[in-house]
Amino acid sequence: MLCGHEQRHIFGFSRRTILCSFAGLVGTWPVPTNGKAELSLGLTPVFLDNDMKLLLLLQRYLSQQLDRPVRLVRQRTYRETLVTLLAGQLDATWISDFLYVKHQDRLALLAVPLYRHQPFSQAFVIVNKASKASTFDDIRGTLHAFSDPDSASGYLITRWLLALRRESPSEFFRSFFFTYGHRNVIRAVANGLAESGSVEGYVWEIMKEREPELIDKTRIVFRSERLGLPPIVALDTTCDLPAIQALTAALLDMISDRLGREILSLLAFDGFTTASATLYESTVKKWQMVKAQA
Amino acid sequence: MLRLLRIAAWPLVVKVPVLVAGLMITVATTISYVVLWHFIQDQESNLELVASAYLDGVSAAVLPAITREDVWEVYDALDRTRSRYAGVEPRFTLVALPNGRVLAASDPLRFPFRSIVPDELRRRFATDDGFIIDTAIGRGWLARTLRAGGVPVGRLFAGLDITNLLRLRREILSTLILVNACLTLAFALGGYFALKRMLQPLSILKDYVELRDGRVETIPESYRSRVSSEFGQLFDRFNSMARALNERQVLATHLAEQEKYAMLGRLASGMAHEINNPLGGMLNAIDTIQAHGEDPAVRLTSLDFLRRGLGSIRNVARAALVTYKGGSDINILIQGDLDDLLFLVQHETGARRLRLDWQNYVSQPLAINGSAVRQIALNLLLNACAASPVEGLITFIASYSDEALWIVVADEGPGLPKNIAAFLDQAVSEAAPAPESKGLGLWTTSQLIRRLGGGAEVDYLGIGTRVTVTLPVASDDALDVAA
Repeated sequence: MLCGHEQRHIFGFSRRTILCSFAGLVGTWPVPTNGKAELSLGLTPVFLDNDMKLLLLLQRYLSQQLDRPVRLVRQRTYRETLVTLLAGQLDATWISDFLYVKHQDRLALLAVPLYRHQPFSQAFVIVNKASKASTFDDIRGTLHAFSDPDSASGYLITRWLLALRRESPSEFFRSFFFTYGHRNVIRAVANGLAESGSVEGYVWEIMKEREPELIDKTRIVFRSERLGLPPIVALDTTCDLPAIQALTAALLDMISDRLGREILSLLAFDGFTTASATLYESTVKKWQMVKAQA
Repeated sequence: MLRLLRIAAWPLVVKVPVLVAGLMITVATTISYVVLWHFIQDQESNLELVASAYLDGVSAAVLPAITREDVWEVYDALDRTRSRYAGVEPRFTLVALPNGRVLAASDPLRFPFRSIVPDELRRRFATDDGFIIDTAIGRGWLARTLRAGGVPVGRLFAGLDITNLLRLRREILSTLILVNACLTLAFALGGYFALKRMLQPLSILKDYVELRDGRVETIPESYRSRVSSEFGQLFDRFNSMARALNERQVLATHLAEQEKYAMLGRLASGMAHEINNPLGGMLNAIDTIQAHGEDPAVRLTSLDFLRRGLGSIRNVARAALVTYKGGSDINILIQGDLDDLLFLVQHETGARRLRLDWQNYVSQPLAINGSAVRQIALNLLLNACAASPVEGLITFIASYSDEALWIVVADEGPGLPKNIAAFLDQAVSEAAPAPESKGLGLWTTSQLIRRLGGGAEVDYLGIGTRVTVTLPVASDDALDVAA
């Protein structure tokens, strides 16, 4: 669902007011400062969340732009982030495209990053550089590292490739495990913990520039078609709130701000753009095929 | 070479520094061993503590993941803790499940997922956990059983690199050896030079303590100011002793001259007696010729008597002349030169009725100072006559063999006192006897023997004394030159 700009109300109260009240009951809602409530944004290992400098800059930028306190909430998995969002304990979150596809009926797209001026990326299947594998079929019987079961590039695409072969991960691989981070998949494959791995292409490519000694130990054996980059979403019930609107505007205008450009530089993005659900049609098709095979 | 092996024969200036070096090495070795032993104990104890803390940290980090058998979480924890513990350098850390298979390791290529834990580790920690150090290969191993609710859920193994510890040990050992070696060398060299300097006065004393031309030189006063007071006093006493010895030497020489003259007096009186004896008969023969000269038989008998008397006087005079004024050629000795001595001692033998066994085997002229040889032989004979009892036997043997002249004089006297015999026996020149003591004659004889390059030996045969003198004789070429 696309987020509109009109305010929606339930029984005369905004949804945000209701959610705030609910959150206050469980004691986790932030205390408002300077008269404005704190905005919480969830982050996941979709991107390089290990960079503390990036998190500090992002928090400062959003606080300035939104003129209110902003709290960045880091979760270990996409699912945890989504559950927190659905529970109303987050105002918005950056989730995987696969998770968006699965829950798009309840989510509103706020912004999608632009990588090389396009909102697309690819999924890579990688192996250790010492491996003799050159195609996806060559990694049969290996110990495989997935990123996250809710990640399209880190799980769904490989599952789709297996579905095409009418096989499951347990049948195709000797064993597999989840690392809950694209960077972790690369570490696992590079250091020999796993023999192959499914990883977000964007992460692999920017790590190639920033951590070449790690990437040099890996090799790509499969590149997927273009997939929509993970979006920043809010509940469709809250997307019209001024804070969410302001967040969207701040993301879209990041390229025009000095601090914003510094953040984009750290993320290796060219900016943010609006997008529709059609961006993820390819992901939807692959998910449906996997579901049908399962 | 053998002398070098005898430690007792080493000079003090070497012996003391070697002793110091030996003590230093012993002390240094002992101290180094104790220091190093304590250091190793502390090092291993500290390493065990640090390693134990490391395992505590790793255990806490991996335990929740082990129960879920989460490969990535375990690996991530091992990887992150690898370089976060100061003092511990793990070469690998691995977590094994109770079935003995690897769940995850910091070095997955070496210990792959689900591989069997290596024999090396299983053997070292078959039953118990612990900490093992193998210094031979510079490795340490740790093992700890991980429990959740008291139930073993896995084992944590770690291999530590302890080469830095061993390198530190080697560095400390090298430093100890180097410092101690330098100190030992410094002390030994210091001891050598200090002792050499301290003992320098002794070498000065050694240089001056020898007889030179029968005299002992005093140490110059200039040395006196350069040495310590102890050695200064020693030099003073040495100089006093040297002066006394030199004075005694001068006096002894003077007395020897007097003795010589006294002996000459005795010889002269003996000669006068030997000359006087035939003179009475000769005068009687002259009187007989005067009275009965017309009788040819009486005249012939008297003249024969006169000839024998004059011949006897001539022999005595010639012997004295040859002995004390020198022959025509003093570098030749002939048989007669020694036989003449019979005439010089006959007064002494006759007065005491001594028997003389005279064996002169010198049959050819010898290239040797004849005058000196005669003096030597005469002195020994006169000494034997003086020592022999009345009617005693005196043996004189002279022979030439092995390019040496051998003269043996034996008597039946009470035996030559040892201190006097020492003048003849000693290879080096003895100081002259004290003026009040006896033996000046033999001391003079010993000086003559040494001047000719010979030697003497004194034997005691039970009764009396036998003196054997050996004098080197020059080659026949020298004889030709002398002739």
